[in-house]
Parts: sequence; structure tokens; C-alpha cells
Amino acid sequence: MSKTLAIALLDLRRMFRDRTNIFFMLLLPLIMVFMMGLSYGEDQQRLGVVVDGQDRPLAERLATSLEEGGRFSVERVDTSEELRRLVERGQMNAGLVIPDDYDRTLRDGDTAEIHFLSRPDDWSAYPLSTWARSVATQEASVLGAAQFAAEAGGDGFDESLRRAEEADPPGIEIVTVTAGEAIFPQDVSQYGLAAPPLLLLFTFVISLTTAIGVVELRQKGLTRRMYSTPTSVRSLVAGESLGRFVITLVQALVILVGSSVLFGVSWGDPLGVAAVVTTFCLVGSGAAMLIGSLCRSEGGAMAAALAVGMGAAGAGGTMVPLEALQGPSRTAAYATPHAWGYEAFSELIRHGGGIGDILPQLSVLLGYAIVLFALGAWRMRVVITR
Amino acid sequence: MTFLEVEKVSKSYGSNKAVEEVSFSIAEGETYGLLGPNGAGKSTTISMIVGVLRPDSGSIRIGGRPHGVGNNATKAQIGFVPQELALYPDLSAWDNLMFFARLYGVSGAEARRRCGEVLELIDLADRARENVSAFSGGMARRLNIGVGLLNRPRLLILDEPAVGVDAQSRNAILESIQRQAAEGVAVLYTTHYMEEAERLCDRVGIIDLGRIRAEGTQRELVSQVGEDDTIVLSLSGGTERAVLALKKIPQVREVSTEGSEVRLLVRDARSTVPLVLETVADSETVLRSVEVREPDLETVFLHLTGKALRN
Repeated sequence: MSKTLAIALLDLRRMFRDRTNIFFMLLLPLIMVFMMGLSYGEDQQRLGVVVDGQDRPLAERLATSLEEGGRFSVERVDTSEELRRLVERGQMNAGLVIPDDYDRTLRDGDTAEIHFLSRPDDWSAYPLSTWARSVATQEASVLGAAQFAAEAGGDGFDESLRRAEEADPPGIEIVTVTAGEAIFPQDVSQYGLAAPPLLLLFTFVISLTTAIGVVELRQKGLTRRMYSTPTSVRSLVAGESLGRFVITLVQALVILVGSSVLFGVSWGDPLGVAAVVTTFCLVGSGAAMLIGSLCRSEGGAMAAALAVGMGAAGAGGTMVPLEALQGPSRTAAYATPHAWGYEAFSELIRHGGGIGDILPQLSVLLGYAIVLFALGAWRMRVVITR
Repeated sequence: MTFLEVEKVSKSYGSNKAVEEVSFSIAEGETYGLLGPNGAGKSTTISMIVGVLRPDSGSIRIGGRPHGVGNNATKAQIGFVPQELALYPDLSAWDNLMFFARLYGVSGAEARRRCGEVLELIDLADRARENVSAFSGGMARRLNIGVGLLNRPRLLILDEPAVGVDAQSRNAILESIQRQAAEGVAVLYTTHYMEEAERLCDRVGIIDLGRIRAEGTQRELVSQVGEDDTIVLSLSGGTERAVLALKKIPQVREVSTEGSEVRLLVRDARSTVPLVLETVADSETVLRSVEVREPDLETVFLHLTGKALRN
């Protein structure tokens, strides 16, 4: 056992002596979680509002109605030019400009125009647009009633508006009722959505790149030399496997702990998370042993590791959300361990599931791990004793 | 006392017979050279003796005990120095030694003590903390040997340990091997350099096409193949007269000329040289130089295998 540990610890030590690996294993995954999290958007969409001109109570009424709506984050912006810039840069999802003739036009009994700004490719602007229309329509109904009362009763517009507000005219409110569960529940942060697929992607790719080490050992004659010592082939294979597993586990823990501490990601049931991470790391390290013992050159191992690692990640829903895959591509995704890992994490993080809820996914991952480890260990044994 | 006994060991890869009934033995304190061209079966033979390859047939005994792939007790008595620099280049000399010490079952204070001793032995104590990647070829070769000495082996197997190093480093390596043999270690040594074999080896086995073709001391091998000595004379003036006279000497088996150089093949150069010099003098020819070439291992090797050793 001590020889097995010695080999495993040596692998781990060599991995972290290389500063490049520190960047790829420690910094890059967390940077990617941050970047990917940003791309999922913030919790609340932002609507910028500009009220042009001075002393315009009707424009202020509309802006206040938007602010008090509570569904979206409404922020005042000083000028329409600044608002345009913010929307163009994606810092605001949309903008609403209430022009300086808004009050005068309405008091004259005409239809006022307000301008809604959005980027053509920003789908998040659509719900903002719908909501802004609904608030404006509500406002228009109050203003219309006040206008009618002013014309019919002879009171001024402002007095009629006050009375219309007090009268609390009848209106129609649409109450949204959701059926089933949201794919991306609102109580899961954007980093909570980004971190799990990146954990799967990085863990698997880093794991597979350790296949190069297996080729290196063989090419340098290190496996032969190790086997010439009083060390059994079982200890050698176990040591190399354990080394790869530990490296992979460290990578997973970096993302797990890093995303929790830095981005507040809540991973859910610890037992379930531990089970998913452990089985997935076993899958990765088994695959690394197999690739490393099959490839003859370090270049070949690197190419195979990247092709398999990135290919499985792409197909398995860790680059494009699994939910976005439909038809055959969705079916194909389940040929990769990533899709099962993704599903397991989704259950734990998004739906508050426990280890009992992810047993099917764990069983499949364990199956992958057993098959790949058995094949990897067998090939490694062949390579050592050949 | 015989420490390594290799008895009719064979190994085939498919239809290719890599090693065929190879037998030899090495006594304690003896250095045995295994010489052969590339593909002769040296590496396969060594792999079986080291215990990383299972023979198809035959037996190997170390210290009188059966030895094989799974026998860790006999493996513990072997120090192996492969031809490749089987070291971790991104680790220091110390870390490399400590790691392999663990594999030899040595740990803790004993491992640190052994590593320190080995570093002194290979003259790398002051470079112990440097990464192997920063070492010169000679230093890395010395460390490669050092790993093979960690377990204080009773059988040291070296597969071309001094290949590609400068003369000074090679000398240091050969001296360290001679010291091991002097301490009673049985040494199995393969090399492409004939002068190394001649300097180190008490006995030599010549292997070709998977079989041991000849075995013995250098002198025994030379006499086995019956190679003649060569006397090379450099003459000026009257060369033809001298050649005619030299051909009449009974011990001279063959005479050939190339310009002013005359080559004589003789059975025993040392006893024939005086007669040759007298004959040249009698033929009134000016003798500029005399060179005696006795057959060496290279000659024997060429005779037995039809190949130059360094090819």
C-alpha cells in the first residue's frame, strides 16, 4: 500500500510542480465559472429609464409606476445618450426614454410616444418590453379617465387625475401561474448554473491529459525500471490509477470549493455531490489510464485526450446546456458520462434533490467507471509486463 | 560462488525467436559482458533477468533461488540500470532517489541515509536538490546508475550505462562499476564500446540472433576463433625485396602490400617480430615503423557475427 501511495503522491506532486498546471487547474476553471456565470445573466433584468426635461409630473408618474412594479430592476439614467450606450454595451437589458413633450402631449389630449431601446439579439428585452407596455397601458387608462372627466365635468386635468386615482377604476390584471418546474429556477444563481457543467468539463479534460504521463513513463523506461524493483504490477497499476484519480479529484474540489466561496454557489446535498464527484472522477481517471496505455506517443495521447475530452463535453451538454439539445443530439448526449453528471447536478442544485434522487445517474456513472477502469488497468498491466 | 545462473532461457514474440536457449552464469565479484549487435537479444535477455519479462522456457536463479517476474525477494537483490535515462526530469536527484528507495522498500531515515551514500558515491552530493533536467548528460547517467545502487544490490545489471557521455564521465562510471565488483557484486554489463568490455569484463558472452555464440575471457575467445596477429611495417626503398624475403619466414601466413606499407599475418606476433626485423634488415630496406596488432574483442565479434559491434 505504501508503494501505491508513493506512486500516487509522486504523480500529484509532479502535476503541481508545473506552474502551467496551476493556472489550468486552479485559475482557469474559476475564471470560466465567472465568465460563464456572467453569460447566464444576472438574477434580475435591468431596465434603464430616462425622464427628459424638468418639472413633468406625468412622466414622473410613469417612471414611478415602473419602479414600483418590482418585477425588474428599474434604474434612472440621466440622458438618453447614456442610456443608449448602456444598452448597446449590454449593461442594461433595455431602456425607456420618456421624451420632454410627454406631459404636454397628454394634457393636450393627444397620444404621447415613449421610446423603448433594446439590442436586436437580446432576448431578455422581450419580457421587459411586454411589462413596460402593460404599465404604460395601465397608466394610459388612468390618464384617459382623468381626461374624460376633465372634459365632461369642467374640472382641470390635474384635479380630474387626482379624483381618477382615488376612484380606483376597475382594471384587468394578468396573474401568471407556472405549470411544472422551471428548467432554470430563479432561486439558482447564474453561477449555480455555470459551475456544474464546467466542473464536468474541466475535471474530465484534466483527467484525460494525465494520459500523457502514462506514455511518458513508458517512453522514458520508468515503468520498466519501477517493475524491476520489488514492486508488484498490481501496486504499479494501482499507484498510477490512484495518482490520476487524486489529480482529477483535486480539480473537481477546486471548482466545487472555489465556486462556493467566490460565487456563493450552493451545490446541494453534500452526500449526493460527493457521490457524483467521486464517480465522475473515477470515470475520468479510468479513461486516462486507457488512453495513456493505448497511445504510443505523448503527442498522440494529447490529441486523443483533447478530442475525447472536448468531444464528450460538447456532446454531453456541458458547453451548450443539455436542455437546449433536442432529438438525436439529446439522445446522443446520454452516451457520454457528462450528460449523466449534468443531470445529477441539476437534480441536486436546481431541485433540491438528495442522493436517493440521483441513484439512476450514479449507477450509470459507476458503470462507466468500472468499465473504463477495468480496461485501463488491463491495458496498463499489458504495457508494463510486455 | 555463482550468484546468477541463466539456464536455457528462451523467449519468442509470435514466430520471432528473440532469445533461444541462452545460458550463462556470473559469480560474486565477477563482471560479465554481454556483447551483441542491435536486435541480438540482449535487451530481452536482460528484461528476463531483471524480472520484468517472463521467459517461455528455461530458468533463472539468483543467489541459488528461483527468480521470476513475481519474485520480489530475488528482485530486491538486483540493481538495474537501463539504457534509457529512466528518471523524472522535473524532480531533483534527491527526490528521484527517495522515490525509488520507497519502491525498493526502504523508507524514512534509512532511505535518507542510503540516498546520501549513493549521492556521495556518484559524486552528486552537491547537486542533490537540482532538477535532473538541469543536469549534463554525464551527471544524469551517474544518477541513473545511482538509482540502481540504492538497494545495495548483489547483482548489478547495466544496459549500456555510459552511452553518449564524455570520456571523463565514462571513466568515472567505469570506476564506480569496478568498485562494485571489487566489493563482491556480480555485474552484468552490456555495451557497444569494446574498450569498456575489455577494461571491465572478466568474461564476455557474445550474443547474436538470440543465441550465445561464444563465451569466455578475452584471451579464450581470441584463441577460440583462431584469429592471427598482424604486423604492419612501413618501409622505404627495396620493398619488393623485403616482401620476397618475408614470405619465406615459416611463421608468416600471408603478406600483403599497400604502397610502402606491408602487412603480415602471423600466428604469434610477439615471437615473430625479431625474425621479421632481422629479415627486413638483411634485405637492405629502410624500416620506418613497426606496429603489432593483436586480435581484440572487436575482431572476435566481427568474426563470429559478421557485423561490427557499433553498427
